[in-house]
Amino acid sequence: MKILVAVKEVASLDDDFEIRDDHLDVDEDFLLYDLNEWDDYSLEEAMNIKEASDSDVEVVVVSVGPDRVEESLRKCLAKGADRAIRVWSDEMEGSDSITIGRVLAAVAEQEKPDMIFAGVQSSDDANASTGISLSSYLNWPHAAVVAGLEYTPGSNKAVVTRELEGGMAQEVEISCPAVLTIQLGINTPRYASLRGIKQAAAKPIEEISLSDLGLSAEDVGAYASFARVRRMYIPEKGMATMIDGTPAEQAAKLAEIIKEYRGEL
Amino acid sequence: MNEAQEITRILFQGFQTSSIYLFYAFGYSAIAVFLYGCYVQVRKYRRGQPDSAWGEFLARFGDMVKTMLTHRTIKRRDKAAGKAHAAIFFGFVLLFLGTATITLEYDITEPLFGFKFWYGDFYLWFSLVLDIAGTAVIAGVLYMMYRRKWLKLPKLDYKRPDREPTDPDYDRSEYRREDWAFLWGFIIILITGFLLEASRLIWLMNDPTVWDYRWWSPVGALIANVLHGLGIGPEAAGHFRTGLWWFHGFIALTFVALIPFTKVKHIFTASASLMFRDPMAGRRLPMVPEDQEEIGVKTITDLTWKNLLNLDACTKCGRCHEACPANAVGAPLSPRDVILSLREFANNTLQKKELPDEAELDVHGKDIGQVFMETLWSCRTCLACVEICPVAVEHVPIIVQMRRKLVDEGNMEPILQKTLQSVHKNGNSMGESKRKRAKWTKDLPFTIKDARKEPVDVMWFVGDYASFDPRNQVVTKSFAKLMRQAGVDFGLLYEAEMNAGNDIRRVGEEGLYEFLATSNISTLEKCDFQSIVTTDPHSFNTIRNEYPDFGGEFEINHYTTVIKQLLEQGKLKLNKQLDLTVTFHDPCHLGRYNKGYDAPRDIIKMLGCDLVEMARNRDNSFCCGAGGGRIWIPDPVGIQKPSENRIHEAGEIEDLDVFIVSCPKDLTMFEDARKTAGYEGKFEVKELIELITECVEFDDESVDEDADAA
Ligand code: SF4
Ligand code: SF4
Repeated sequence: MKILVAVKEVASLDDDFEIRDDHLDVDEDFLLYDLNEWDDYSLEEAMNIKEASDSDVEVVVVSVGPDRVEESLRKCLAKGADRAIRVWSDEMEGSDSITIGRVLAAVAEQEKPDMIFAGVQSSDDANASTGISLSSYLNWPHAAVVAGLEYTPGSNKAVVTRELEGGMAQEVEISCPAVLTIQLGINTPRYASLRGIKQAAAKPIEEISLSDLGLSAEDVGAYASFARVRRMYIPEKGMATMIDGTPAEQAAKLAEIIKEYRGEL
Repeated sequence: MNEAQEITRILFQGFQTSSIYLFYAFGYSAIAVFLYGCYVQVRKYRRGQPDSAWGEFLARFGDMVKTMLTHRTIKRRDKAAGKAHAAIFFGFVLLFLGTATITLEYDITEPLFGFKFWYGDFYLWFSLVLDIAGTAVIAGVLYMMYRRKWLKLPKLDYKRPDREPTDPDYDRSEYRREDWAFLWGFIIILITGFLLEASRLIWLMNDPTVWDYRWWSPVGALIANVLHGLGIGPEAAGHFRTGLWWFHGFIALTFVALIPFTKVKHIFTASASLMFRDPMAGRRLPMVPEDQEEIGVKTITDLTWKNLLNLDACTKCGRCHEACPANAVGAPLSPRDVILSLREFANNTLQKKELPDEAELDVHGKDIGQVFMETLWSCRTCLACVEICPVAVEHVPIIVQMRRKLVDEGNMEPILQKTLQSVHKNGNSMGESKRKRAKWTKDLPFTIKDARKEPVDVMWFVGDYASFDPRNQVVTKSFAKLMRQAGVDFGLLYEAEMNAGNDIRRVGEEGLYEFLATSNISTLEKCDFQSIVTTDPHSFNTIRNEYPDFGGEFEINHYTTVIKQLLEQGKLKLNKQLDLTVTFHDPCHLGRYNKGYDAPRDIIKMLGCDLVEMARNRDNSFCCGAGGGRIWIPDPVGIQKPSENRIHEAGEIEDLDVFIVSCPKDLTMFEDARKTAGYEGKFEVKELIELITECVEFDDESVDEDADAA
């Protein structure tokens, strides 16, 4: 029995930051990296299943990213994951979430897990699509925004509670293997003590490249992506004005503003 | 000189040989039981981990003897109990020496060498001294009984704040019974001893070598006179004496046999505990060896032998219980009860012949005898308990070691987890970006040297609260101005400074502490400076006392020492005296931790303030509640906070103008407490630096004005 947990190392911004000269991203100097918050929960969910189970459950974490990602994988190992895999080739630079899904699907085909967990979304890009794209490349059932899970390792069904809008919940029965994207609050993630992280430094992290997965450069990177960043910028603020007065005065003022924009004044 | 051999006491006078044998048999059994008990205790201690406390044996031994002879630690904050204990202690020692002297002659020097000395003048003086000793013990024990029965001291109430009244281990009544049994046992042994003496005198009243010298045993003689006056003659007294003799011998020997099994063992365990006292306990927490896989204390056998000895040394005097700020505000923690819980746990598990399974040795949990997680997290590592314990029990290292396990297993408040993660990520506990650490310097009308780039005389280690907290930044800027005015060549680490780690270590996150300490040490080592100054007592403590264990040997001073010197040397001049009534709160990490009691007070006096002390001052200062990482864990609502308890104490001072602190965390805690406890408009809470700034003459007008505006 194996659970694959797909994790991402996300970037967070300092209060003051600068955008790169090519205007495609934030200058790396101003980024702080850490494990995506949602992934803390999906790893915890896998660990809870592992610890509650009588049979052997292997928890494998996988992440797509450059060297620095190792630190986040170490944190997962410190929390008790059995193995960690890092997938990277320089060609993968610029991949969008759908393409990352394809890469992860290739890993899943090799690992043959019984269940895959991913976070609902990443805190930096917030596309909420990597897990879903992974399931569609695998052609597996999926459930998104999972806030509760009943699953016994080895069984071919799981009952998941999905969080919907407006405080509603939906209970779904899903066939396994499946891909679940896990929502915050489903459990209480454990703390990875720094000693634990240090000790995990001794555990190996498996490194896999494009060719190991049987993918080619055309399958990944900016080239294969459906979405590409054209420009990153800080939108101008202060465009809103409050219009006071009677409805008639407000209408007159509004008309004036519209005219001004149209260049009629 | 009276050298008459007849003037002595004939041992076993009038006894048949078989009776003497019976007595010896009984005596040897008592000693055997005693020795067996000692063996069981030593075996228990040996089941603990190694401890490095064996070094400097002679010096430690000397210290122990000194402490015992002066009774210094027992007299502290309870003179009467100290004196009563001294009476019992010294009386007991003399009685013991007396018995040993008799044994020496009767069983050794006389049978082996035919040498006798227990007669004549020596005998008479001996009798007198032992009578006085016996009286002292009785007086001491009577006071102790009075104290237990009528004074109703809260510290002698064994009810536990960490248990509910319905819990079986709530009131510890068996301790109360043991206390009384001990006191009564003691007093009965002594009274029967005196009665025995008196009946012997009457019995032998026709023997002038006895009767004529009876006033050398004044208490015995007095009782003899009374008894004789009541009509008891030599014959009746003789019978009475035989019965009493056996009774007295029986309970005295039982008492000896029971020493290792009852609270009486504290005569050994407390002395040993004093001898192995670590003056750095709590100030410098134990390191975790590089190759050690497990961290902290999970099972009772994870404690060191010295910890286990500490547990047995506790005499339940309750001084730590009384001093503990957590206990004072009703948190589920009493340091005494942590120690006693662990002691009972150790006795139940480690006194067995075979060591029980690992699972039965786990000290964490909710069962009887286990220590609750809430209890451990309530501790503010203020060191009040360690400071006052008369027998050198070191609570804080034990509590922190247990917390290390909790942290390792993630058993902590989620909010604390977040803080620890953010400290790891950002190097500060405020959740702020590294880059913003030195932002406060931007408002200064001058620039402070970057000590990473150029040599300075004094390195200023600012600390988190002083760097990031807006209220504290005002103080931090004032201190910068004072240093500049005094012409000190100083600099900062700017963004490279990280949280010093003092409180992280006291939380029990040792790995993170190691990371912070080694990072700061390597940053500091790359810089060129003579000494460090800080306004933060927490950073001060860990850099001073703990960094050396990680290879960081730096001279560091708290600002109060530095400013005092600058004032004395005339490098800072005062142009104003403050006509204020003030009180001073000793920060735990400056006061108790590092004995920095005087410098702040000296400065306060130089400023012309009228310093009125709170009842709990100096080594008895009452923690603001922020220590040990508690500043990151919100206190429960609805119950008093330690800071409020403290501010009420200050509120009792008539016409108080300013409550002075000298620690950034104190400023935050007490500003808050002053508002929540309703003292706004009554008095102010200020950093000592602010008062100094008001009085110092600044050359540069703009700096001065700026300081006033601040
Ligand atoms: S260190 Fe302070 S808070 Fe902790 S147990 Fe001792 S007295 Fe109580
Ligand atoms: S630990 Fe020390 S201070 Fe506390 S009750 Fe025991 S002997 Fe007294």
